[in-house]
Amino acid sequence: MTLALKELLYKMADDQLILGHRNSEWTGMGPLLEEDIAFSSMAQDKIGQSLALYTILQALGEQDPDTVAFTRNANQFHNCQLVELPNQEYDFSLIRHFLFDTAEALRFEMLTNSSYEPLAQLAKKIRGELRYHTLHANTWIKQLGSATPESTERLQKSLDYAMPFALGIFEPSPNEQELITTGIFEGEVALQKKWLAKVESVISQTKLTLPDLKSIKPELGGRKGIHTDHLQPLLDEMSEVFKIDPTAEW
Amino acid sequence: MYGGGNTFEGIKTDSIASEDPILLAAFEARIERGEKIEPTDWMPQLYRKQLIRMIEQHAHSEIIGALPEGTWITRAPGFKRKMSLMAKVQDEVGHAQLLYSAAETLGKPREKMIEDLINGKSKYSNIFNYPTFTWADCCFISWLVDAGAIVNQLANAKGSYGPYCRALDRICAEESFHLKYGHHCVIYLASGTAVQKQMFQEALNRWWPPMMHFFGPADKISAHTEVLMRWKVKMGTNDEMRNQFLDMYVPKIWELGFTIPDPNLKKDTETGKWNYTEPDWEEFKRVINGDGPCNKERLEVRRIAEERGKWVRDALKTSRQAYVSPLA
Amino acid sequence: MNSLDPRVERLPKVGEEGKINPKAPLDQFGTYEVFVEPKPGKPFQHEGAVHAPNLEMAYVLAKETFTRRFTCSSLYVCDTRDVFVSPMTEGEQSAYDLIDGTSIGEGKSEFEIYHLVKRGKQHIHAGSVNASDAKGAMLQAKATLNNGKLVYNIWTIQKDKIRFTSEEEKEYWITLPEKKFRDASDYKGGDKLKKFLEQKA
Repeated sequence: MTLALKELLYKMADDQLILGHRNSEWTGMGPLLEEDIAFSSMAQDKIGQSLALYTILQALGEQDPDTVAFTRNANQFHNCQLVELPNQEYDFSLIRHFLFDTAEALRFEMLTNSSYEPLAQLAKKIRGELRYHTLHANTWIKQLGSATPESTERLQKSLDYAMPFALGIFEPSPNEQELITTGIFEGEVALQKKWLAKVESVISQTKLTLPDLKSIKPELGGRKGIHTDHLQPLLDEMSEVFKIDPTAEW
Repeated sequence: MYGGGNTFEGIKTDSIASEDPILLAAFEARIERGEKIEPTDWMPQLYRKQLIRMIEQHAHSEIIGALPEGTWITRAPGFKRKMSLMAKVQDEVGHAQLLYSAAETLGKPREKMIEDLINGKSKYSNIFNYPTFTWADCCFISWLVDAGAIVNQLANAKGSYGPYCRALDRICAEESFHLKYGHHCVIYLASGTAVQKQMFQEALNRWWPPMMHFFGPADKISAHTEVLMRWKVKMGTNDEMRNQFLDMYVPKIWELGFTIPDPNLKKDTETGKWNYTEPDWEEFKRVINGDGPCNKERLEVRRIAEERGKWVRDALKTSRQAYVSPLA
Repeated sequence: MNSLDPRVERLPKVGEEGKINPKAPLDQFGTYEVFVEPKPGKPFQHEGAVHAPNLEMAYVLAKETFTRRFTCSSLYVCDTRDVFVSPMTEGEQSAYDLIDGTSIGEGKSEFEIYHLVKRGKQHIHAGSVNASDAKGAMLQAKATLNNGKLVYNIWTIQKDKIRFTSEEEKEYWITLPEKKFRDASDYKGGDKLKKFLEQKA
């Protein structure tokens, strides 16, 4: 049981950590001052949520959050590949934010009923944060998704590009059945179904078209430690200062 | 964060002579009573012009000031530092947001100010034209540049223009987090390993000259500073601010075992004033005029951010019939 | 660009170095005024303005611009043009003294009323009135909210022009008090400093 649970916690924590880092790159460079601030806050929330998850893992016998987050190599990370992709232009960052946060909010909503108490508690606690993240994402997508030809075209292109990676969020894990039977988590299949309904309902209010999922091959592997070439350089950056003097406290 | 040394335009004080003497007297009496000026009040053209200039420069310094520390945002060591630095750099952007609004109440649209920043028409604090080579440079800014900014901002918060004071009250409250965070980082470096200590000492050596420049050259008291001080636009001389900073922070730097790279730095116990080697004002001028190590990069990053964000803003813009500035 | 900032290194090449296309004079979003209730039972207070393309976006953007510290229980925004502003007074004169006319009584629209009681401070919520238009709301406020305390400026805002926070949305701020990393109080270096100074001595 612990193995399945740890798998779940690691992939969630790694997703939040890596996307939080990516989104933080926009700080001071956003498209509008107010949006710069909003996006930074949500990146901070993500890093904070990953810390909360690593702290639960520590209670289950894993190493402390700083060690786990800042010293592993890419092949030891279980995040989906979607979150490690470079930021590119704001259209992609927004689409990723929308696709990922919709899934994350639904995942935590499901976890409010988890039989694993620490996770259920965390899910209840951060509900408001996630509510804001999805309000933010949905509002932007609805606005830019039907504003000008340029904005809809940009969003459509990013949506088409991101979709195979987004499906990678729901990559099945070998021990998932245990989580379902013990009532810890309803599983990725159930999550993906809810996610798709939600994504469809927002996209249908725009001029965007959701790519036909049957024709898409999901980008899998992230959950097993297989990553794009973009992850390791990001991890090197994250640990650059630590590595100067591994004995030091910063 | 912001330093003194803001450049006020050469003023022809005789422009005041063309103002309505009754309105001018009422305006000056209000300031004399310690009451704030609000956006809808009558004010002399010169007051409006100089305030826009000062608040705008302050706002630019915040948005550009997000860049040198932002250099380390993906590399902050560990969860605690990462969260703090993200929030701190975010605050700088937030301060710019607040200050542009305050300047807007005087009638200059935000986009116009941003345009003037990028095309080099208006200035920002010189110190952000220097590079942050290491994590310790980033810590120096968080602690000491922000400390210097607080000295200035606390003084300016007692100024006469309501919207600027309100913005500064918020900003000073947030800066106290920056200062504490920065000091916390430096305490860890000071009490850490030899590598860490050396790292901060080197940062201090690099940043001390720009830190001394930060408050601007010694003021020559002229008719123009006199009127700006009477109107509570300028709240203290550059030398006063510099002295106050040295008084508060030199002992704290020494306490941590670091050496300030100025053999002449010493407090005169009789006058209470600090003596120091005269900063190189030629370099200050050179950097302000665009020839510093990072001027080009800072403006280029800002320009690229603007250009990349253009399609987002264009997509959602609706035509407004008339420009209204924010209320307060 | 050859930069120390890895983020800058990753920036794409855009446009021409040092060149920005001049913007048309009104080429920007409109402004929206932001009002915050810091705690249940405390009055709403004007906090500032955001630039936004519309009311809903203004709400989304106002939240982190103005409520990312301490506590917040509610927030609302309205277009700057929807705030009706009285003349500004000073000294011993109340802004209500400059509101002429007698109230024609209640109308069917609701208005929020804000007072400035000290120059240089924020406008604070004073109450709500029913009236038929903004001018009528000023007169209603004069009749019902003018308690003799000096008021230097009055704002009225029609309620249906406001984007309020719904009851369910109040959960946005649940974790806000825990975000201590944004507060000075979270950075106590005293113990470490003391130990360091003792060792040094």
